[in-house]
Order: sequence, then C-alpha cells, then structure tokens
Amino acid sequence: MLEIKNLHAKVEGKQILNGVSLSVKPGELHVIMGPNGAGKSTLANVLAGRDKFEVTEGDIQFNRESILEMLPENRAGEGMFLSFQYPVAIPGVNNMYFLKAAVNAVRKYRGEDELDAVNFLKMIREKLKVVELDDSFIHRPVNEGFSGGEKKRNEILQMISLQPKLSILDETDSGLDIDALRVIAEGINNYRNNERAFILITHYQRMLNYMQPDYIHVLMDGKIVKSGPKELAHELEEKGYSWI
Amino acid sequence: MSFSNYQNEFKKLLDRKYFSAVIHPLRKDAFSKLEKIGFPTQKWENWRFTNLSALTENHFLISEVNDAPQSKLDISQYVIEGLQSIVIYNGHFQQDISSVPEGIQLLTGLEYFEHKKGQVSHSEDSPFDLLNTAFMDSGVCLIVDKNIIVETPVRILFISNGDSSIMVNPRVHIDMGMGSSLTFVEEHVGDAVSLFQNEAVYITLEKNSGIEHIRIQSNSENTYNMANLHVKQLEVSKYNFYQYSDGGNFSRSNIYVDLDGENSECNLNCLSLSRGNQHLDNSIIVNHNSPNTYSSQVAKSVLFDKSTGVFNGRTVVQKDAQKIVAHQSNKNLLLSKSAKMNSNPQLEIYADDVKCSHGSTTGQLDDDALFYFQSRGIPKNEAFILLVSGFVSEVMEKIKFEPVKNYIDQKINSWVA
Repeated sequence: MLEIKNLHAKVEGKQILNGVSLSVKPGELHVIMGPNGAGKSTLANVLAGRDKFEVTEGDIQFNRESILEMLPENRAGEGMFLSFQYPVAIPGVNNMYFLKAAVNAVRKYRGEDELDAVNFLKMIREKLKVVELDDSFIHRPVNEGFSGGEKKRNEILQMISLQPKLSILDETDSGLDIDALRVIAEGINNYRNNERAFILITHYQRMLNYMQPDYIHVLMDGKIVKSGPKELAHELEEKGYSWI
Repeated sequence: MSFSNYQNEFKKLLDRKYFSAVIHPLRKDAFSKLEKIGFPTQKWENWRFTNLSALTENHFLISEVNDAPQSKLDISQYVIEGLQSIVIYNGHFQQDISSVPEGIQLLTGLEYFEHKKGQVSHSEDSPFDLLNTAFMDSGVCLIVDKNIIVETPVRILFISNGDSSIMVNPRVHIDMGMGSSLTFVEEHVGDAVSLFQNEAVYITLEKNSGIEHIRIQSNSENTYNMANLHVKQLEVSKYNFYQYSDGGNFSRSNIYVDLDGENSECNLNCLSLSRGNQHLDNSIIVNHNSPNTYSSQVAKSVLFDKSTGVFNGRTVVQKDAQKIVAHQSNKNLLLSKSAKMNSNPQLEIYADDVKCSHGSTTGQLDDDALFYFQSRGIPKNEAFILLVSGFVSEVMEKIKFEPVKNYIDQKINSWVA
C-alpha cells in the first residue's frame, strides 16, 4: 500500500529526513517511536504533502504510484489521512460545515455522490457515537475552544468519516486522560480491518496496551534505525533510546 | 489645495431655482466655515493615512434635473424581501417608487427644517458635514413617535448612475421617540462613471429606544464615498450598527457616537472587503459621556491586490463616566504582499472605574489552517474561500433581520469566490 524509499527531506533549509525506508501493507499497524527532533512529525507531514517540506531524494509510493507531485487534497482523495499532533483551531468555520465539505470533497474525488444535508447528518451522528461526543459538538467552530481530548476525538471523527485506507496518527495519544485514550484507541480498533493500514507516531507505549501493532520502528536522526515486534516498545519505554 | 471647483458649484447651486432660498443662509454659513478650515490634510491626526487629493483634482458637478431618471426606475435587482424602500437617485428623491412602513413619519425636502425650526446644524461639524450642509440634496427624515415599534424594516436605496462626474450629498435624519424601535437599512449602489458621494446621517435615540442600522456600501468602482454618521443616545437606548463595504474607489466612514444617557449601549460592526486599488477607511469616535454605558467596536478588513485600509477607533471615557465597559477589536487579513492596512485603536480614559479592552491584529491567511483543510480533501481554492468567509463571518452574524443578513452573506460569498 505504502512504500517509502530512501526518503530525504528538508524544511527551511534544514535536512530532517536522511533516508527513511518503510513498507506498509493493508491491514498492518506500524508504530514509529523516537526521541524529540528525530523527524517523526516531518515524516507525517511529508506523507500528507505539506509543501514547506521539500523532498530532496527518494520516493513515496501509495498504491504503486509515486505521490511526490500530488496535492494534499488529492492524497486525501486517494485514501490517505493525517491526524494532526496540534489540530488547528478555526474560529468562524462551523465544524459541521467543515466536515461536510471534507466528506463531500473526498466523495467527489472518489466518484461517489455527494451527501445531502439529511444524509450527512445521519452519517455523522453515527460517527459521533463512536467517539462518544454529543451533537452540539459539530455546531461549534472547528477546534475552537476544544479541550485537548476533544481535538483528538475530532481528528478520529474526521478519520472515520473520510474512510481512508492509510491513517497516519501523529501523537494522537499525547495530552489525553485515560477515558479519552480509551475512546480513541477503540475508535481506531473499530476502524481497523484487513484493508486499512495505520502508522502511529507516539512517545509512549501506553496506547499500545489497547491495540495490536505489527511493527515498532525507531526513528533517530531522520532514519529508521531499528524495527521489531510489539515488545520493542516496552524495552524503549524502560531503557530509552541511548542503547540503540 | 484648490477649492475653486467647489466654490463654482456652490455659486451655481445658489442660482438654481429648484433649490429653496429658505435654507440658503444655512448653506452659506456652512460653506464659509468650510472655506476657513478646508478639507483635511494628512497632517490631521485622524487623516494621516487617507489621501484626499482626488477630491480636489476632480471636478464634481452638482446634480442637475437631467441627472434624475428620465423614465420609471427599475429596482428589481435590489429587491430584499420584507422591507419597504425609499429611493434616492443621483440625489433626487423618487416619490413614485418610495414607501415607508406603518409607524414611520417621512418628511422630505424642507419639511424637516420647518419641523425643527431650522435647528439642524451641529456646533462641532467636520469639514465633510459642512460640505454636506452646504450642498445637501433633498433630505430624508424618518420620525418614529413615542412607543412605536416599527415591525417592517425600512431601507433608503441610494442609486447613483450616469456618465457625468457628479457630487451628491445625501442627508438623513432619524429621530427615535421614547421607547420606539426600528430596523433601518441604507444601501448604496449604481454604476456611476464618476461620483463623489458625501453623506450625512444624524440619528437621535430617546430614552429606551433602539435602532438596528445596516449600511451596505456597494457603490461603483469609481466612486468616492464619504459617510458622516452622528448618533446621540439617551438613557437605556441601544444602537446596533453593521456596515458592509465592498464598493467605491475610496470609501471613508466617519462615525461619531455620543453615549449621553446612562445605560445606553452601542455595538459598531464594520466589515471592509477591498481589492484592486480600493481604499476603505473607517474612523470611529465613541464618547462615553455618562456612567454605566457600554460600547463595542468590531472592525475587520480583508485586502487583496494593492488595496489599502484604515481603522481609526477612538473610545473616550469622560471624567465622571464611571462603570463603563468598552471594547475595541480590529482584525485584518492581508491576501497580497502589496495590500496595506493601518490600524490605530485608541482609548482615552479620564475616569478610574472602567473596563476597557482593545486589540488589533493584521496577518496573512494561516498556512497551517489551509493545509489542515487540504489534508481533509478540500481543494486549496475551496479551503481559501472557507477560511476567508470564516474570518469575516462574525462581523455580520448578529444582524437580526434575516433577509438582509442573507443578502449580505451572498455578497460576501460572491466577493470571496
């Protein structure tokens, strides 16, 4: 599904990624851990197509096609989703309006009929239940005045509404209390099936108590330096990164 | 600065038969005062960022009889449901297509001056108020008597058309009696090739009265707009003002509010959308002359291309005006490197027990927000429209009369798109 080959990238003249290679197959859950500044968020942003990150070498293939030249909105249409570490607050834009615009934009891209107001509302109400939020939530401005947990639930709400094939979750677990963590983990688990893949970027193994990753990767200095099974996460939490 | 064009026009005006000689003394007095002080220059504090040279370089002529419509006007393109309209065409009152809702007494021409026994000028008149008094067209006065709630909103529709370079000086007085209320819309439209519109509006609010005033300025791209708005408020009166401005080559609103009575409240909301070489400019002075008064100023501008904007907001709290609350907020969105905004919020406080806040921000569209929307599949141009609409939405949001709110929303959407 996703092939990252020898990816080098820089931002504002500074080289961040120094040859990342990673292969993700349908149904897999990959976890990327690593110290601050290792390039984890950069990798997530490069995958989603943020233009201030410049790819200097290597390639990213999604469904066997290079997506380096593809606009972020088209990557979303193709089935890629990024859950933001810091979701942006947008005063003045109603959350429902935003969600509807997003859902219909990807539906249009995928050649599906756009949802009218009634069908959209029906669909979104079901998804709201999954992330345990009430209706009033979608009538507020996007992320404006949301608590940390609400912002992350809103990200998961967007994910399950947009139906991506590959979800990149950038520190979706940070700043959450136990309840929110459980809700989000369940949201992800419910969405997971053998066609959908995930890349989870995290600092902590606690989220992994709720889910079954296939691989743990350690990203340091812009490279994947170690990969292993789930147990590697425990080891990293105990010993840190210096031993690698 | 050459003033001779205006002097010539003033002489012409005094000779016109159809301008009543009854108010010549008033006009002459105003004009001679204006000749003494002259138009503002950029050395004047409130005019530092406002270039008025076009007003003296161009020769604007007073509107003639043949500038009035030659046949019955078609105003179907300006229909807003649920209101009644008074139509002014190039400064001429169009009686046959004008009507006012029940509860409003409409006085035109000289009637108002007789009603007020000639006491219509103000001691602190600014140059453009004086110019308006000197040249004023057939005025419109709306009187709402004590305890009358006017259910149907009224609009004055100012249409300025034609090929000649003309000057119009609309004059509006609104007197709100004790306990009365009104929704008043003024809309400025037309495709005049060259126009100088210098409007003066005087609103007085007696005790317990309220007015919702919506001003829509969508004049032709060659128009020079000057709006002079004076509001005087007595006890427990409420004034809500909404200005939507996207027209004209130059547009400046001078807004003066006097909160003279305790528990009076004003909410001033201005939205300016500019592109090309437009200059949209707002200058607000709110005087808290009485204790327990409330004021809020919210001004937002969105600027494309080489357009420029000004916000001067001044809130003055007089010595004995304790327990007042005043807010000022000016936020601007620059959508091009050549656009320019000058923002100057000021508080002048002479009392000690007050709650005041002011803030100003000017910036570009948030890249993070744009990427956030794109990452959700929303194409960049659509994301851009959503974000700009979102930025401006709060300013007109509280308009109570839905048809006008929707009318303005449509204008915003087509402007942004």
